[in-house]
Amino acid sequence: MRFEANEDQTTFLSVLDQMMASDAALWRHSPDWRRYDLAPELDGMLEENGFYEAIAEETLGAIAAVALIDRAARLPVTLEVAASSMLHAAHAPDLPRPVAVIDGPLDRATRFLPVAKSVIHIADGGVRAALLPEGAVTPTESIFAYPMGVLSGAALDWQALPVSPEAARDQWRIAIAAEITGALQGALDAVRAHVVDRRQFGRPLGSFQSMQHRLAEDVAAIEGGYWLVMRAAEDFDPVAVAAALGYVQDAATAIVYDFHQFMGAMGITLEHPLHRWSYRLRLLKSALGGASGNLGLLAERRWGAA
Amino acid sequence: MEFGWTDRERAFRARVRDFLHRELPADFDRIARHGPGSREQTEFSLDFCPKLAEAGLLVPHWPAEWGGHDGTVWEHFILGEEMWAAGEPRGAQYMNVNWIGPTIMRYGSEEQRQRYIPPMAAGKAIWCQGFSEPNAGSDLAALRTRAERDGDHYVINGSKIWTSYAGLADTCFLLARTSGKPGDRSGIAILLVPMDTPGIDVRPIPSLIGHGDIHEVFFTDVRVPVTARLGEEGAAWSIITYSLANERVGIPRYELSARALDGMVRELKARGEFGGDHVRQRAGRAAAACEAARMLVYRAVDTRARGQKLGTEANIARIAVIKADAAVSDFGLDFLPDTYSGEDHPLNLAHHERAIVAGIAAGAAEIQLEIVARRHLELPRGA
Ligand SMILES: Cc1cc2nc3c(=O)[nH]c(=O)nc-3n(C[C@H](O)[C@H](O)[C@H](O)COP(=O)(O)OP(=O)(O)OC[C@H]3O[C@@H](n4cnc5c(N)ncnc54)[C@H](O)[C@@H]3O)c2cc1C
Repeated sequence: MRFEANEDQTTFLSVLDQMMASDAALWRHSPDWRRYDLAPELDGMLEENGFYEAIAEETLGAIAAVALIDRAARLPVTLEVAASSMLHAAHAPDLPRPVAVIDGPLDRATRFLPVAKSVIHIADGGVRAALLPEGAVTPTESIFAYPMGVLSGAALDWQALPVSPEAARDQWRIAIAAEITGALQGALDAVRAHVVDRRQFGRPLGSFQSMQHRLAEDVAAIEGGYWLVMRAAEDFDPVAVAAALGYVQDAATAIVYDFHQFMGAMGITLEHPLHRWSYRLRLLKSALGGASGNLGLLAERRWGAA
Repeated sequence: MEFGWTDRERAFRARVRDFLHRELPADFDRIARHGPGSREQTEFSLDFCPKLAEAGLLVPHWPAEWGGHDGTVWEHFILGEEMWAAGEPRGAQYMNVNWIGPTIMRYGSEEQRQRYIPPMAAGKAIWCQGFSEPNAGSDLAALRTRAERDGDHYVINGSKIWTSYAGLADTCFLLARTSGKPGDRSGIAILLVPMDTPGIDVRPIPSLIGHGDIHEVFFTDVRVPVTARLGEEGAAWSIITYSLANERVGIPRYELSARALDGMVRELKARGEFGGDHVRQRAGRAAAACEAARMLVYRAVDTRARGQKLGTEANIARIAVIKADAAVSDFGLDFLPDTYSGEDHPLNLAHHERAIVAGIAAGAAEIQLEIVARRHLELPRGA
């Protein structure tokens, strides 16, 4: 049992932290008040330096990939990291990225489709991938802090990927779970900074115990989720995978509620980045069956059928 | 990162399990029904712990000088996990093993060590912890029980409350005020007080958690020699802070919770009542809570095992552990309410009664939240 990263992972994380602290990771509210920034410069730096390929490196592995997803999701900018560093890197490294992942019907609004160069489709019959030619995607307006779009129905040249749908789904579960823990942590840091700063009734908001205790509970849930995710990334044990995603999706609902409460009206504006995290979380918590589906799956895997 | 066990740790766990398998009677859940402080379980422990000692499994993490094997932090922890999951057959003696013994080794006089440690290492000593008072619960420093110096004796007057195991204990690890007003941490001393000293009156408090667990203890002109003092006058606060630092992560409760939950699911399946999505999701939720608690506890233990100073990891873990206990207990109450009447499901009852105190005993949940808010989130104090 060792919670410390190994030497290579430590280096990976410290270089990553430097990049994440650079100007390229800053968020800007765009003139048209878009709900996300894609941070292409940072994305390019991560890609060029091989960060998205960690899963294929023996001494880095899925643990580093998952840590990358978590760290990237802490940022207020939106990066397509989860698919690239998990499914793409493991099964389709030659496809151009960004990558969108569809794990159900093909006609639903899906994150990253408008900017994706390729798409991975996880269906019960198999996992496949295709390039996305010009015109293959119709962008859609959305409340979520991702570029959202729908496949326009043009014929795609699907290629089967050498991975079972079950294995791909479990990897995707952990990628999503890591994105959730990261977004929760990023939002927590922003909310914390706000409530330490903002004074009402002659004292910082963060000095009120009702707020302190809820934030402390949120810390326990976020950190518990983080370590469940790390544990599951070690070997993709099916029970651990379902526990990790079910737990963080379940926790996210109440935590997002707390964060928006504590930010007051400021958190409703597009001037403060809270929405950048909360409107990623509000999509992610429904992924792959959502909390109910994944906790049910955990029951299935731990105790079998009725 | 690595979340598996070493061969040595696996072998150690197997040894503990083998021992439990051999030594625990088939109906131990019935004996453990009323909790570690019950007469049944205390009596059992006085037979069980000497055998555990003989097998080298009572104090394996203690130094060889005191009957241990200099075992690792993880071995100590694995032992606690297995014992708690089994229903804590060591009864009250887990306290000796975990912190009272090590505290006396570190701070005690030679006489105190020779007198108290061998019986603990032999599995024959029952201690109680006299900290809380009617007006000093979460705010422990507010304690008022006084120890007045009279020549080479102290005369103790006051009362303790919620004292576990007091009815059967031989010795009390007592906090008493030698100077200062309630609230003053620097006026407290530790006294090791034999419970048969005249002037001590123990009254059990009827409670929701089984027989004879918590007590009131009254001290009226109780005389103990100055040599009963552990450490200096006024040193109690720093000593208990040190000794309980290792205890802060608390009991590995999630392990019994997970076992109880598995039992509940087995029962529901046998009844053909584990088919609905609702019950399955709720069971999954409780299981996930146990696993999250486990990871956070392991993180705190790992910090210690690597010799690093523990920050708020233990407090964060406690919060998750308390929630996991509640999730399992509520699952049982919601889906198997009939098992909480009658005698047929001792494990559900025992688990429930342990779960309802998880957020109160050994520092309330809200105190943990307080510490996390202040030290981890560094949130400001009020005006
Ligand atoms: C089963 C059991 C066994 C015990 N065994 C022992 C023992 O062997 N020896 C011993 O000395 N003691 C023992 N105790 C006592 C235990 O340590 C105290 O119950 C505990 O410290 C809390 O004190 P209290 O019950 O007086 O609660 P109080 O201090 O009165 O607090 C009540 C509640 O108020 C809230 N609260 C308190 N302070 C704050 C704050 N600062 N901010 C926000 N909320 C707050 C918490 O929700 C808390 O639960 C035991 C208790 C139980 C339940």
